[in-house]
Amino acid sequence: MWIVNDLNLKKQARDLGIKFWQTPGFLFIMLGVLSVVVMTATFYISKNYDSPEMLVVAESIVVIVILSVGNFVISLIEQMIRLNRMKSEFVSVASHQLRTPLSAIRWETELLLSKFRKESVSTKQRQSIENINTLSGKMTKLVNDLLDVARIDQGRLIIRKMPVNIVELVEEAVTGVSTIVKMRNIEVVFKDKKNIPLVFGDPEKIRMVIENLLNNSIKYTTNHGKIEIKLLKKGDFVVFSVKDNGVGIPLEQHDRVFDKFFRSDNVVKYQTEGTGLGLYIAKNIIEQLNGKIWFDSVENLGSIFSFSVPISRKSKK
Amino acid sequence: MTKILIVEDEPMLHKALAEFLAEDGFQIMSAFDGEEAVALAKSKKPDLVLLDIILPKKDGYEVLDELKGDEKMQKIPIVLLTNLESVENIQKAFDKGATTYLVKSNYKLEDIAKKIKEVLKNSK
Repeated sequence: MWIVNDLNLKKQARDLGIKFWQTPGFLFIMLGVLSVVVMTATFYISKNYDSPEMLVVAESIVVIVILSVGNFVISLIEQMIRLNRMKSEFVSVASHQLRTPLSAIRWETELLLSKFRKESVSTKQRQSIENINTLSGKMTKLVNDLLDVARIDQGRLIIRKMPVNIVELVEEAVTGVSTIVKMRNIEVVFKDKKNIPLVFGDPEKIRMVIENLLNNSIKYTTNHGKIEIKLLKKGDFVVFSVKDNGVGIPLEQHDRVFDKFFRSDNVVKYQTEGTGLGLYIAKNIIEQLNGKIWFDSVENLGSIFSFSVPISRKSKK
Repeated sequence: MTKILIVEDEPMLHKALAEFLAEDGFQIMSAFDGEEAVALAKSKKPDLVLLDIILPKKDGYEVLDELKGDEKMQKIPIVLLTNLESVENIQKAFDKGATTYLVKSNYKLEDIAKKIKEVLKNSK
């Protein structure tokens, strides 16, 4: 029983969503046990029959058994890889198909809202349509995130590289959150933006990462909090950082922050919204741009999230 | 009045676009497939074409080829509006002469209208 506990096959089976006997750990043990059994058997058999022919037959049996068990293991692994690819393809196709009706919903509600501006309608009605509009916007964001994750998993997330004015991107992101920030009484400061050179990357993707980090800061900061954004030139890189005095991340969960679907325990308790995909996508984008992403966080005191992107060669000259 | 040809096969999206842009003061012409789009562009001479890529009969790229290959229509700016967003798709569209490329799910109607006005201003 110790071996089961030690290799934790039950947990492996549960995590992978497969049966106990299908886990790689179990199959590995079986391969070992079988090899030993077959070898011992051949040893005793060949000991009783003192002829070289018998030894050849016995050896062949050993080889055949090991090869067939090995083959079985390989076919299972192959099947798992295939299933994983099918899963990514399914997510990709499903998300793509969801986008057309989602666009239709968003555009129709936008149309309604623009008509409401001209006609008199009750605040309640307008509020309902506005809610639908906001929610379908969120759904679009989620579908786009899922598509990005599927692309990352398939190695198909393609990123353009061109000179980008990162100061402008940050300023736009700050403007984008001005309403929510005002509503929640959070102060957002963006200083240290002088002499920042152009960076080399994909403007849309960098915008996504900045918005994601900034939105996280706002989401996990209590009302009346403060958020500081900085840009800094460091060697051949520009470093973006956003600091908040929000809920922070518990120390024991620090190494899982960039994992797919990760959401920290203290956050899930009071902020139910969020998918845990944003930072996973951000990390993949920044790394594809040859930059780095990191953070520092103390629970109940706040977090600083930073990333670096290379400076464009054009602005180095 | 500025004439815009909307080429979009999905009726709901088509309707929303047409209504919003009409409200905004444009004259709207509608095509629901690639062949209709080319025919309408030839006969009605729009000032701008809003073009989807996945279309029945002829796809957006074929429409682009035909419009850009015709001297009389070469100068009409073409704004692609699609849900395809891979770099290859975008590059192919620009290689074939598209003016701008917009991904549907990233744009509000208001932003699309803004882009259209920008393109029209620059093409004059």
